[in-house]
Amino acid sequence: MDKKLGVYVCSGCSIGESLDVDALVKVATKEYKVPVCRVHPLLCNPEGVATIKEDLAAGSVNAVLVAACSPRMKTEVFDFDPRMVFERANLREHVAWCQPAGDEDAQMLAEDYVRMGIVKLQKAEPLEPMSEQIAKTIMVVGGGVTGMTAALEAAEAGYEVVLVERQESLGGFAAKLKARFPSEPPYTELEPADLSEEIRAVSYHPRITVHTSTTLVRTEGQPGMFDVTLQNGQGPIAHRVGAIVMATGWKPYDASLLENLGYSHSADVITNVDFEQMAAKGSLVRPSDGRPIRSVVFVQCAGSRDPKHLSYCSSVCCLATLKHARYVHEQNPDAQVFIVYKDIRTPAQQERFYAAAQNHPGVFLTKGEVTGVGPRADGRLEVVVSNSLIGAAIGSGSSRSDIASEVPDGSIAIPADLVVLAVGMVPNAADGEAIRALEDAKAKALKGESETQRREAEAKVLELKRHEGTAILNLTYRQGPDLPALAHGFPDSHFICFPYESRRTGIYAAGAVRTPMDVAQARQDALGATLKAVQSLELASDGAAVHPRAGDVSFPSFFLQRCTQCKRCTEECPFGTLDEDEKGTPKPSLYRCRRCGICMGACPERIISFKNYSVDMIASMIKAIEVPDEDEEKPRVLVLMCENDAYPALDLAGSARLQYDASIRVIPLRCLGSMNIVWIADALSRGFDGIMLFGCQYGDDYQCHYVKGSELANRRLENVKETLQRLQLEPERIKVTQLAIDEYRRLPEEINSFMTMIREIGPNPYKGM
Amino acid sequence: LLETTVIQQEVAPSHPVPAGMERPVTVQPDMGFIRDVMASGGEDVKKCFQCATCSVACSLSTDEAPFPRRQMLQAQWGLKDQLVADPALWLCHNCGDCSTRCPREARPGDVLGALRREAIRHFAFPTFVGSLVADRKRWPLLFLLPAVIFALIGLTGPRGAGEHLEFANVFPILTLEALFFAVSGFALVAFGVGIARFVTALRASGATAPILAGLIPALLLIIAHRRFKECESEQKRYWGHLLTVGGFMGLAVMGTVVGMGTMFGVMHTPLAMTNPWKIFANVSALAIVAGIGLLLADRVGDPAKRASSTYFDWFFLLTLAGVVLTGMLSQFLRLGELASVMFGVYFVHLVLVFALFMYAPYSKFAHLAYRTVAMAATGAGSDVDRRRPRRRAA
Repeated sequence: MDKKLGVYVCSGCSIGESLDVDALVKVATKEYKVPVCRVHPLLCNPEGVATIKEDLAAGSVNAVLVAACSPRMKTEVFDFDPRMVFERANLREHVAWCQPAGDEDAQMLAEDYVRMGIVKLQKAEPLEPMSEQIAKTIMVVGGGVTGMTAALEAAEAGYEVVLVERQESLGGFAAKLKARFPSEPPYTELEPADLSEEIRAVSYHPRITVHTSTTLVRTEGQPGMFDVTLQNGQGPIAHRVGAIVMATGWKPYDASLLENLGYSHSADVITNVDFEQMAAKGSLVRPSDGRPIRSVVFVQCAGSRDPKHLSYCSSVCCLATLKHARYVHEQNPDAQVFIVYKDIRTPAQQERFYAAAQNHPGVFLTKGEVTGVGPRADGRLEVVVSNSLIGAAIGSGSSRSDIASEVPDGSIAIPADLVVLAVGMVPNAADGEAIRALEDAKAKALKGESETQRREAEAKVLELKRHEGTAILNLTYRQGPDLPALAHGFPDSHFICFPYESRRTGIYAAGAVRTPMDVAQARQDALGATLKAVQSLELASDGAAVHPRAGDVSFPSFFLQRCTQCKRCTEECPFGTLDEDEKGTPKPSLYRCRRCGICMGACPERIISFKNYSVDMIASMIKAIEVPDEDEEKPRVLVLMCENDAYPALDLAGSARLQYDASIRVIPLRCLGSMNIVWIADALSRGFDGIMLFGCQYGDDYQCHYVKGSELANRRLENVKETLQRLQLEPERIKVTQLAIDEYRRLPEEINSFMTMIREIGPNPYKGM
Repeated sequence: LLETTVIQQEVAPSHPVPAGMERPVTVQPDMGFIRDVMASGGEDVKKCFQCATCSVACSLSTDEAPFPRRQMLQAQWGLKDQLVADPALWLCHNCGDCSTRCPREARPGDVLGALRREAIRHFAFPTFVGSLVADRKRWPLLFLLPAVIFALIGLTGPRGAGEHLEFANVFPILTLEALFFAVSGFALVAFGVGIARFVTALRASGATAPILAGLIPALLLIIAHRRFKECESEQKRYWGHLLTVGGFMGLAVMGTVVGMGTMFGVMHTPLAMTNPWKIFANVSALAIVAGIGLLLADRVGDPAKRASSTYFDWFFLLTLAGVVLTGMLSQFLRLGELASVMFGVYFVHLVLVFALFMYAPYSKFAHLAYRTVAMAATGAGSDVDRRRPRRRAA
C-alpha cells in the first residue's frame, strides 16, 4: 500500500513557547519530505482533530504522526481506526515540560522525537486483525461453590457452559459443611450450609451441561477454540470451548507432617476438616472412645505461616475455629473451648462474628505457641503452650503439670478431650512447568549425552517426582500440561494487580485454587473470573489481545525460513503461546498471544515482528537520532523504557515539571523483555555514549505485566556486558533500573547522575566510525 | 458447673527439669466465676481481644503495673484467686474512659466494677451474709430483719405523749443507742475480718508496700478526691462523690458525738435547731442530698451508665439516699408536729440506717475500706508521680 504521511504539530500547552515549531516542521518537510505537515495551536480541540480527519477523509494522508502530548494522554480525542498507521511524538511531557524554554538541547531533543516518529510511520504497516470462528462456550473445571457460581453467571450472561466435576456430585467442600460463616448483617449468626437449590439450578439450566465423575484428559488449542476431551465411565466426550474457568478448589494441609502436634499419635488429635465433618454427621465425641467432649483445644496456624510448612495465611481457619466453638457449645454449654493462636485473622465484616463467637463464658482465647501435645495419665490429652498471654498473667500458686517438663517459664498445660489442628488450605493445582521439567529430565536420564548429564537429570527427576500424575487440565502446551504455579503453588498470575489472570491466556483461576478464601469470597471470585472469561471470548472474536494490551489487534508474525530452531522464543514466552514441532521450529497459537514482544526480543535471527513493532523499526528509530560529533561535547544516551510503568513515570515527572538532562532519547517498549540485543549493538556503533533501560521489578514480588519480561531483559544484558569489555568499552555505559510508576520523583536523579558518569568516562570511542 | 480435673500426682516426670525451666502451669478456668462476672455487669468481658487500649486510656494506670488489660484477660479465663487479690481493681475509680475507648465494646470499666463486687463477696465474713446481700432476689429479706426489730421496739416501747412531741416517745433512745452500737460493732468486726483476708491475699500476690504507713497518704488522697479529678470524661462524679463523702463524714462525726453525749447524759435530744451540732448535721445531710442527687442523675441521665448500673450499685445508692431523705423528712415532720405520720417515716428511717450499717461490709459501701487498703498497699498517695503525665483530651 502506498503510504501517505501526515505530521501534525501542536503548539499548545507551552510547546510553542518552549520550542521553535517552524524548525520542527522543517525536519518533517525538508529532511523527510513529508507531504502534509500542519501546525495547530490546540490540536486536541475539535477543530484541531478535524484537520486530521479532513486530510484522512480526502485521502491525502493515511499514516499520521501527532507531535503533541504523551501518547497516554487524550487517547479519547486522537481515536482513529485501530488498524491505521498512527504514531505520537511526546513533545509536551518529555520535552517542553521538563526542559528550559528556548534551550538549544531541548530543541535538538524535540527534533529527534519528530524524526523517530516519522521513521516509525515509514516502517509500520496497517494492521489486519485475525478472524477465526470463536466458540462462545465457557468450560468450568470444578463443581464446587466457585464452579457452580461461575457456571450460573456465565449461563445467565448468555454463554453456553460445560461444567466438569471429578466427584460423583456437585457441591464440593461447601456441601459437606454443617454451617457457614455469616454473610450478611449483623454478621453474628451462622448460616445453613444447604447448597441443594444451587445444585438444582446448575443441573437443570438449559445452557449448562454438567459432567460429574469426569476428568479432563486433554485440552488443546487456544482461546476461542480449545478442543477438550473429557473422560468418564461411558467413554471420551469432546467439546469445543472458548475459555476456561479453573475452580478446582483446595485440600487441607497434611497434618501428619506436623510432628509435634500429635496427629499421627492419637486418634483424639484431628484436623479442622475432620471436626467439621464429624459435626455435620451428628454429635461431637472423642474419636478414640466415643465419650462426650468437655474440653477442646484448637491449635491455630497448625503448619500455617510457618516456612517449614505453609508459609502463608489461609484466612479462613480462624473463622472456622470460632464456628467450631459454636458447634461445641450448642451441644454442651458447659464445655471449655481453648483457642491458641498466632494472630486471630477475621477479614472484612467477620470481625463482628469473631466478637460474637468469642463472647461465651466457655471460649478461652490466648496468643501462644503450642510446643507439644501428649497423653495424660487419665487417658486425656495435654497441650503445652509457651509464650502465651495467659501464661504471663497466670499465678504461681496454681497446680503444675506433672507430665510435661523442660518448658520455658510461663508455659501452660491445658487438659483436653480433643485437640483440633486448624490446618490451612493447599490449592488443588498442578505445576505445569514442573511437570514438563520432570518429563524433560526423565528423557535426559534415559538418553543423556554424558554420564554427568544423566546423573544430574536423575537427581532432577527425584526432586520433581512429586509432580508426577498431578496434571488437571492436561494442556498440550509445549511449556507443560497445566498452569504454571506461582507463589506457594497457587496458579494466579499476580494476585493484586491482575486477579484471576493465569499465565495461560483464556484460562482463569477462581476460588480457593487461586488464593485461600471462604464461600462468600469464592462466589465473588467466580463472578470475577467469569467476567474475565467473557472478555477473553469477546476480544478473541475481534482478533484482539486480552489484558494488559486489551484490544490490541496486532500480532507477531514469524519468518520461519530463517529460523535456526534455537527454541529461545518457545522457552521464553511467558504465556505458552508457542509450541514446537519435532525439530524445534515454533508453532504459534496467536490467540494465546498477549502481544508483549518477548519472543521478538529473544530471537537472535530477528525473524519475529509485528506490523507496528519490529526489530527493524526500533533499530531505524535509533539510526534516525542525530548523534553530534565528539568535539561538540553533546553526549547522547539511548533510553529504552517499559511502556507500562517507567514511561508513564517519566510522563508524571514531566507533569510535575521536574527538570533533567536533555541528552537522553527515549523509546518506549511494549515490555523491556521485547528488547533485542541488536539495538544495543546498533546504538553503541552509532556513537551513543550510554544506554539506560528502565523496567519493572522482577523476582518473587515481580511487577512486570508480562511476568518475567524485565528479568529476561536483564539476563540478556549480562551477556552484552561481556561483549562490551571485549570491545574495551566500559560496562557502566549500560545501566538497567527497576522502576515502579510511583517512583517518578527518582527519575531526574537517575538520569542526571548517569549523565554525570558518562561525561566523566568520556565520549564513546566508536563515535563517527 | 464444670471443673477441670486437677492433674493427679501419680505420674512422675519423664526426666528431671533443668534449672531455669519449670513445668507448665495447668490452667483451670472457673466457669462459675466467669458466669457471675458476666451476670453482674461484666457481660461483655469475653469480647476483649487484648489490644490494651484500656490500659493506655486509663489516667490512673501505672507503667509498672498497668491495668485493666491484664485483669480483663484474667477475668476471661476465670482466674478468680488472682483477681480478688489484685489491688488494681481498687485503684480504678470507674470513670469510664476505658469503656468509651474500647474498640470491642467489652466495657472494661464495668468489668472491673463486677470484679470489685466479686472481691467484696469473696472476702465477706460471715460468707453467707455476703452471698445474701449480693443476691438481688433476696433484698426484701435484708429489710425484713430491721423492720421486725424496730416494729418490736416501737410496739413494746413507752406509750402516750411525753413532755414534748419526740421520737423517743415511741423509740426509746437508750434502746436505739445500744442497738446501733451493736450493729456498728458487728460491721466493724465483719470489716476487720474481710480486710484481714484481703491483706493476706494482697501479700500473697506480692504487694509489699507497708499498709499502715500508707494509710494516711491514701486517706488524704481519697479525701481530696484527686483521682476523681483526673477522670477525663466525668466532672459531675467528682462533685457528687465529694459532697456525699464530705456529708457522710460530717454525719458520722455528729452521730458519734451526739450518741456519746446522750449516753453519758451530757446532751439531750432533740437538739435545738440553733444548736451548732444540729446545724452541722443539717448541712452535712444537705451535702449528701446534693451529692447523691448528682450521682443518681448521672446514672439515670446517661443511657450507657444506666445500662451498666447493677443491683449492687442501686442497693447502696438508694439506701443511702433513703437514709438521708427520711432523716430530713422526720425532722421536718417533728417540727411541724405531724404526729400521725412522723413515727411511720422515722420507722422507715431507722430500718434504712440499720441496713446501711449492717450490710456495709457486703454492699458497695465496702469499697471505702477495700479501696483505702488497696491504695495504701500499692503506695498510692505517697507516690503519685509514678503515673504517666495526664494526657489532654483531644
